[in-house]
Amino acid sequence: MACGSTPLWAGEASWFCCGNSWGPCASAGGGACGTCRSGEPQAAWPNASQACWEITRPDLCGEDIPRRGCGSVLTVRHQCSGASVCVTVTDCGPRTRSFCGEATCCDGVCRSNRVIDLTPAAFAALGSLSSGTLPVLVHE
Amino acid sequence: MTPSRTDADDLGRRRFLTTVALGGATIVGATSLGAVDADAAFAAPLVPLDPAVPRGAFVEGRILRTDGGVLDVAGSHGERARVRLTGATSVWKAGVATAAEIEAGDGLYARGVPMPDGTVAADAVWVNIVNLYATVRGIDKDRLHLAHGTHRIVGRLLPATTSASYPGTAPTSDLSRLRVGDAAQVLGAWRPADGAVDIVRVSVGPPPRGLR
Repeated sequence: MACGSTPLWAGEASWFCCGNSWGPCASAGGGACGTCRSGEPQAAWPNASQACWEITRPDLCGEDIPRRGCGSVLTVRHQCSGASVCVTVTDCGPRTRSFCGEATCCDGVCRSNRVIDLTPAAFAALGSLSSGTLPVLVHE
Repeated sequence: MTPSRTDADDLGRRRFLTTVALGGATIVGATSLGAVDADAAFAAPLVPLDPAVPRGAFVEGRILRTDGGVLDVAGSHGERARVRLTGATSVWKAGVATAAEIEAGDGLYARGVPMPDGTVAADAVWVNIVNLYATVRGIDKDRLHLAHGTHRIVGRLLPATTSASYPGTAPTSDLSRLRVGDAAQVLGAWRPADGAVDIVRVSVGPPPRGLR
């Protein structure tokens, strides 16, 4: 599936680990889709399935995020730097409802609410892992 | 008509680029572009200017050994990689660090450019970094007790380092607003020696039912 350029959503991107890994991530497993790996450009989407939606509940933060299941391909672009990465949805997340109203800004423009979780490989293509969150635009 | 490049030309060019990347020229490039601030250096992926240089590579795994600025890394899915540190490599280990602080047994994420010699010349490495969704199960003076999935993790609070991020406020060193039961995002550095996590930043969302 190609990496598209049609706007889909905007918000905060965070990162997570999955697959066989080290430290606390060792027990993360392959995620909701069974294929998640930290070293690959992948993502978790808060509406990967109905069961996923019940966990993440982005609607409680005003984010009526559409369903995009395992294998969906998204392009994630840093709001300010323009750096982008093409990712495949391989997990469910982030837990948007736990961080309603959280905002990440750059160049004076802020994006609120966690709308996508990136693997370290994907997040590092946009910015520093030590930042934890980035303001992003999601395309498909 | 554009002259075609021979394999020998390409090989020579790649050797030259390798030398540049592994020598001092990368430092000149980074500083001339303004990436002298540590955070800025981490934030900017190294994008090769020359189309002969492949675009980014990413390495994940445990460090088996360090050898003259090269990290031998065992990937978590059985792969192996060698990560080369240059004078321009940004190192994070519970904060901005130096290459000398990287040890065998550490976990690693590295971003860089693949070199013809099989190494990855890193522009940034993050050592032992974790970013965990957890629930606060206990609060002591010098640590948080966290539940991460089915696992319990000790999160060590570091004086002058650990900060808290509450909704609608800038990060602060004031941790007094943390509550048992809070859902939290914990960014920190895993400690291979004891499995604990040195907490750099703990972020919590708004309280359920407006309790805070």
